[in-house]
Amino acid sequence: MLMTDDSAPFRAAFDRLRATADEPVWLTTHRGRAMDRFALMGFPTRRQEAWRFTDLEPLTAAPPLPAAAGDGDLPTPASLAPWLLPVATHRLVLVNGRFAPALSAGPVLPAGVWLASVAETLRQRPDLLDGAFRGRAGGGAEGGEEAFATLNAALFTDGVVLVLEPGTVLETPVEIIHHITSAAAHARLHIVLGAGARATVVETATGGGAGWANTVGVVTLDAGAVLTHLHIQAEDRAACHTAVMRAVLADRARYEACALITGGRLSRRDVAVTLAGDAAEFRLHCAYLLDGGQEATLSVRADHLGLGCRTEEVVKGVLAGASHGVFLGTVAVAPGADGTDARQLNRNLLLSPQARVDTKPELQILADDVKCSHGATVGSLDEASLFYLQARGIDPETARRMLVEAFAVDAIDAAGLSEPLADLARRHLRRWLDGGAS
Amino acid sequence: MSKLLEIRGLRARIPGGREVLKGIDLDVGAGEVHAIMGPNGAGKSTLSSVLAGKPGYEVTAGTVLYRGRDLLAMPADERAREGVFLAFQYPVEIPGVNNMYFLRAALNAGRRQRGQAELDAQQFLKAVRERLKLLDIGDDLLRRAVNVGFSGGEKKRNEIFQMAMLEPALAILDETDSGLDIDALRAVSDGVNRLRDPARAIVMITHYQRLLDYIVPDRVHVLADGRIVASGDKTFATELERTGYAHLGDAA
Repeated sequence: MLMTDDSAPFRAAFDRLRATADEPVWLTTHRGRAMDRFALMGFPTRRQEAWRFTDLEPLTAAPPLPAAAGDGDLPTPASLAPWLLPVATHRLVLVNGRFAPALSAGPVLPAGVWLASVAETLRQRPDLLDGAFRGRAGGGAEGGEEAFATLNAALFTDGVVLVLEPGTVLETPVEIIHHITSAAAHARLHIVLGAGARATVVETATGGGAGWANTVGVVTLDAGAVLTHLHIQAEDRAACHTAVMRAVLADRARYEACALITGGRLSRRDVAVTLAGDAAEFRLHCAYLLDGGQEATLSVRADHLGLGCRTEEVVKGVLAGASHGVFLGTVAVAPGADGTDARQLNRNLLLSPQARVDTKPELQILADDVKCSHGATVGSLDEASLFYLQARGIDPETARRMLVEAFAVDAIDAAGLSEPLADLARRHLRRWLDGGAS
Repeated sequence: MSKLLEIRGLRARIPGGREVLKGIDLDVGAGEVHAIMGPNGAGKSTLSSVLAGKPGYEVTAGTVLYRGRDLLAMPADERAREGVFLAFQYPVEIPGVNNMYFLRAALNAGRRQRGQAELDAQQFLKAVRERLKLLDIGDDLLRRAVNVGFSGGEKKRNEIFQMAMLEPALAILDETDSGLDIDALRAVSDGVNRLRDPARAIVMITHYQRLLDYIVPDRVHVLADGRIVASGDKTFATELERTGYAHLGDAA
């Protein structure tokens, strides 16, 4: 492999950050190894199959670097208001990857729940993060996303840790706001739900400038645990967003994810879910809505290892302007993972002749008794529907908006979210339709 | 009395294709119900499409005045807001768009155009309930997406319900009777009859004389090969039933 100098600016940032950090030696050691690994790896290139559709140039040409603590304007409660759930939540706001206590709030945590920033957790309950940074969670081959995960491991400034003891139900949603200014934010999310525990997490990515959010999320669901995870990605259109999400599901665990992707000039979300136990379930409902020169890639890998597991992915794309959407979906069924039931569907709506989409749903089946389906469609707005609406007096622009909303809102409705979450997602969808639809 | 709709020498074709309308002349006055009959391929649906402003047709000659204004110069949505309503032969299913949401948007678009205040949710619901009662329709249709999962009869009743809500000055019913069994035909016809009004004109396009037993027209026209070849009063339809269209086509 050719040596690249991708790592040079990061190495300098790494040294600056370490000079002021106060953290356990084992973590510093771990960060150093990650920095070295990234130096060898460099960013993925388009020669790698899973990255050939993604143009990383906007990011790699001049990658934003982490801000020093206190750099960048803090958002105000008023500026965050449009992004907040309309109900009581445990709210944690991260600004440029650092926990902002002044903007965070929530009721007293019930027994059996640990919810705090990574920094706080390292101070008070380092045992909860024991092993969390070593190796990598999840199965599957190491892909290009490992570069982003590794860089995050070297440079992360803070994040959120949610640990539920077995049988604990956290009714109040956890609301995490990732706000970035024109800097890089390497934040982490660690979620561990004990057997039978349940939680709801809403992650919203806002802010922007020419910043870069690079998040790593690690989810571990023990037997029968249920995590509902809504992700709204809505940074300004000059920003970059990369995220690596890895989840491991034990017997009967359920991971219900819903994502709305509208922000950033370049975004890429790599989700890898390992259905390790029997009868585990992974559901993903996602919509990416892009305009102008935006590009978004959603890469989802579901590894079925256990018996009778289910995966359901419904991904909708709305592409206006000269935007580019990419869906890469792989369902891999391991030998012996009988009774697998997996469905993948990617539907795309092209609103302009310049918009593009690349879609690649794949199945890798090594078991005998499975039920798997996958499909992808690319189309434009239905002319007959447009005329029908206009024949009732609705102007063409409103008619188009109604049809686009109907197409995309399905991803939210089908996710089966509770009303406050669905409302937040729908509100964001309308915001996009008001401002972004051409 | 000035006519609501005046069509003069209307010729239209599918772009690059054959001429479908070859010189239509038709006057429709307020309060009148006209039936346009004729064999398949005569141009009946093309006429309704051209009047409603459906894309895909090219008017090559003639004029259409609606309330004295050039109808063909208006885009389809403006025609609708000005009171022209087309009941579709094949109402379109629109998944994800709720029937009520759609209808309220349509109704308020028309009200804005006429300088009337928009109806709020409560006023709208009240209007909906009145029309449902008038047409004897259950409210289950309203909770669903536009026409999605509706039977053929439900779709046609939904068209008439929309007409009742939007209160057009000119309603064009394109083969509203097609695909209906006798009970559904009666229900839809009753609905249309209740919407007859001295201020409203209705143009029914139909293949079958049967509809005219239920909705009795003031005038009956035969459209054949792109022209109106014969017209008469309501008794003319009965005569047509006996003699068929063929001899009229020959005469033209």
